[in-house]
Amino acid sequence: MALTQTSAGPQRPAVRPEPVRTPRKRRDGGAAYWLYLLPGAILFVLVIGVPLGGTLYLSLTKWSGVGDPTFIGFDNYTRLFQDEVFWTSFKNTIAMIVAMVVVPTLLGLLLAAVLFDVIGRRFKPRTAAALRAAFYLPQVLPVVVAGIVWGWILRPDGAFNSLLDVIGLGALQHDWLGDPDTALPTVMAVMIWVQIGYPVVVFMAALQRVDPELYEAAEVDGANWFHRFRSITLPQIRPETFVVALTCTIAALKVFGPVFALTRGGPENATNVPSYFAYYTFFKKLQVGYGSAISTVLTLIIIVVAGLFIWLQYRGERQDREV
Amino acid sequence: MTRFRKLGVAVVTAALAAGTLAACGGDGDSGDGGDAKTLKLWHYESANSAMGIAWDRAIQIFKDEHPGVEVQFERKAFEQIQQNAGMIINSSEGPDIMEYNKGNATAGLLSSQGLLTDLTTETTKRGWDSKLSPSLQTTARYSDKGVMGEGNWYGVPNYGEYVMVYYNKDLFTKHGVTVPTTYDEFTKAMDAFVAKGVTPLAEAGAEYPAGQLFYQLALAKADRKFVDDYQLYKNPVDFKAEPLKSGAQTFADWVAKGYVAKTSASLKAEDMGTAFISGKAPMIVSGSWWYGRFKNEIKFNWDSFLFPGNKFHAGSSGNLWVVPAGSKAKGLAYDFIDITLRPEIQALIGNNGGVPVAADASQITDPKNQKLIENFNTISQQDGLAFYPDWPVPGYYDVLVSGFQSLINGSKTPDQVLDAIAKPYGEGVKEITGK
Repeated sequence: MALTQTSAGPQRPAVRPEPVRTPRKRRDGGAAYWLYLLPGAILFVLVIGVPLGGTLYLSLTKWSGVGDPTFIGFDNYTRLFQDEVFWTSFKNTIAMIVAMVVVPTLLGLLLAAVLFDVIGRRFKPRTAAALRAAFYLPQVLPVVVAGIVWGWILRPDGAFNSLLDVIGLGALQHDWLGDPDTALPTVMAVMIWVQIGYPVVVFMAALQRVDPELYEAAEVDGANWFHRFRSITLPQIRPETFVVALTCTIAALKVFGPVFALTRGGPENATNVPSYFAYYTFFKKLQVGYGSAISTVLTLIIIVVAGLFIWLQYRGERQDREV
Repeated sequence: MTRFRKLGVAVVTAALAAGTLAACGGDGDSGDGGDAKTLKLWHYESANSAMGIAWDRAIQIFKDEHPGVEVQFERKAFEQIQQNAGMIINSSEGPDIMEYNKGNATAGLLSSQGLLTDLTTETTKRGWDSKLSPSLQTTARYSDKGVMGEGNWYGVPNYGEYVMVYYNKDLFTKHGVTVPTTYDEFTKAMDAFVAKGVTPLAEAGAEYPAGQLFYQLALAKADRKFVDDYQLYKNPVDFKAEPLKSGAQTFADWVAKGYVAKTSASLKAEDMGTAFISGKAPMIVSGSWWYGRFKNEIKFNWDSFLFPGNKFHAGSSGNLWVVPAGSKAKGLAYDFIDITLRPEIQALIGNNGGVPVAADASQITDPKNQKLIENFNTISQQDGLAFYPDWPVPGYYDVLVSGFQSLINGSKTPDQVLDAIAKPYGEGVKEITGK
């Protein structure tokens, strides 16, 4: 694996020397590895593989949840791709990726750099730590609790509209979650609030492993904060950026709790997302086969996106080594 | 390759073992279990609700009359039963008797799959049918396709519910508004509140109340044939004709006139209820399930009246006692159902703010409770229970919520909303009836 190779440079020999091999030992070691992997593999099959296989099979059937499923081939998939709500839910997922990945990552990067590089230096480190904890607080709250509280704040007679009134902007008062035009942007804003602490914490941890001499040298060379941020911070914490982007993208693709707590996908499907659509179809409409098809497509998309991210990360690391 | 083969065999063996374990649901004894020594009973009523209180007493009576029989009672969550009932009663872990939701998508679905015991013989033998009016029997009987209204008995209801208008007497007095008795007086009363700058009806677009208000408005122009067509699929329903057209148009008019706040689309039923409890709203249109809570929590003078001018009202029997096909103590389960229909238990429901279906009126002592029950009996006796608008097809609740949020927001016309709710109705009916 590439991780074992820690240095690269002009001195590197063109031909990698063959490691000394002892075939007998290697075979024994390989068998031992498989033995250690076995409990995990069995658990994986039971917890992930069997349900996944079951979902795949059910997606090819028509079933109400009781009795025997009827095999109907790919009819659920044909119906799915013609379903307006399905496409609406995926369009909303793109908005969720903006709210849960793009904005929090960019904002988180900036906040982490400011907290680490400016607040941490000019004030006591405790101040930066307290601010970091404050940003992370929404991540600690159960998402449904956060959703319910935000629901109270945003209701027509809630705190947000009262605040607008108090500061003289009463004309802007609105049913934020009830109007199809404002419901999605409002849910997005809540998701940014929920999500922002995660990249801040990860990026601040990443910044702590960056060699301070790099910053000192850059400062000596006259680099300002923005130059240091662009030329040192960003490249140094790229692995963490990939991890944040990957995990947040997966979270955005399968987001359910906040939508369930805030809007139940409404009004008029304005905030519907694939996982809520699958839940609704599965449990409310009792169309288990169709719900399974939605889940299967969602799973496939998550696998493809995760694969793409891992490939991009691997390619980035390889390029770094080749420099 | 040998290693991979061995691993593969191990994995497949584990998976098969898991599958076999999962499939180990017992078939259960389908007999009456006359010698059973345990009755496993599940319901989802809270301990301090009218039904919860009544059924605690019923369990006590059952124990007294069945010495040596242990009652294993478990209080479940409504959602827990709603979403998992099929799997639960298809396994050996299910109860002998269970409270379950009435309707085609729930009790109907399970009965059509052979998972519920046919109670027809027992119903006739024990006289349960004579205690329940025809409109209450509708939710107890299901066809072989699981459509309610006809066929065998698969459940027994023992309480009822209906939608009415609750009003704040003090606010009526304060604003000099007369309590209405006809539809015209009702709208005039609302005009009077609007003129005083008060929104007369608290509403909740994000949950059931808006759909129920629409249905009440539609029912003003409905007859039994419409209800049967809409709920029991006897004939196709034209959503662009009366009474649904009138229901949607009137709803939109009420929003436009300010009877219903334009900012109520995102509010939930609890918001509407608490607006009334806190004295902010003069009226709400909602169900008898609020009655007990209002009695306990409201400090001002309040009362209720039936939706003015309507013969038909949203309402039905309460949920059902069902006996899973795999029950090992069916005889005991029938005895328990019998106890819940006795006057003593029915009176307990009535005296705690519930709507009994077979109570002796003289045993109901509280005047407010008497009125609640009298109104229900009036509706029931005139065959006026019209069930609920979201019942006909699974998932229709959310369709109606979405549709009436649009009307409250003004983002769709009544015609567009009727189109939006007609399509899923048609698809759902086709799914159930094949027509």
